[in-house]
Amino acid sequence: MTRKTLIIATVAALGLVATGFTLSAPASAQSAVAQAMSAGSVGEQSDGYLGVAGSVSASVRAEVEAINIKRRAAYTDLAAKRGVTVADMAAATGCQTLANRVKPGQVYRIGDGAWQTKGSGPIALPSYCANAQ
Amino acid sequence: MTNYDEVIGKNRRFSGMLIGVLGLGLLSGCITVKAPDRPIEINLNVKVQQEVVVRLQKDAQDLIENNPELFPE
Repeated sequence: MTRKTLIIATVAALGLVATGFTLSAPASAQSAVAQAMSAGSVGEQSDGYLGVAGSVSASVRAEVEAINIKRRAAYTDLAAKRGVTVADMAAATGCQTLANRVKPGQVYRIGDGAWQTKGSGPIALPSYCANAQ
Repeated sequence: MTNYDEVIGKNRRFSGMLIGVLGLGLLSGCITVKAPDRPIEINLNVKVQQEVVVRLQKDAQDLIENNPELFPE
């Protein structure tokens, strides 16, 4: 009897936890990515796209990919207007995100390098970012 | 009276020496300019890339400001 009660209680607790997750998850996928960025599992890359640095849920991963697809579309438009390659437009944006958007404690990656956590000082940008500010 | 034979003889000796010296000079002091086998390549890609990216910084700033949903913080 006691054992049965315990099992029921456990199941109920698990259900409650699961419900909690379900309730908190739909709170806009955007903020889920922002949360992952704060947690250091998603970060900006010098190539102008978001990257997954740690373990993230499938929904966060999907949202990162969705954002990157939208970014790529925006880069493609601007690149066509300026007569540059999409990669150059994306890299220019990468300079900006690394210089201005990444906050201390968040992670970032330059080129194919390892993920790094931003400290209190500015990120050492690639040389081609010369005038990024 | 001028001894023409002597003068001509001297000139000939002199000419011979001159040709000899010139010949030596040509042999030893010649600078040979040879075209390289492969074309000379000057790689400017890095500089061009840098200029392009710098020029695009303003565009990038505007893009980020105008599309906050694409650039979560």
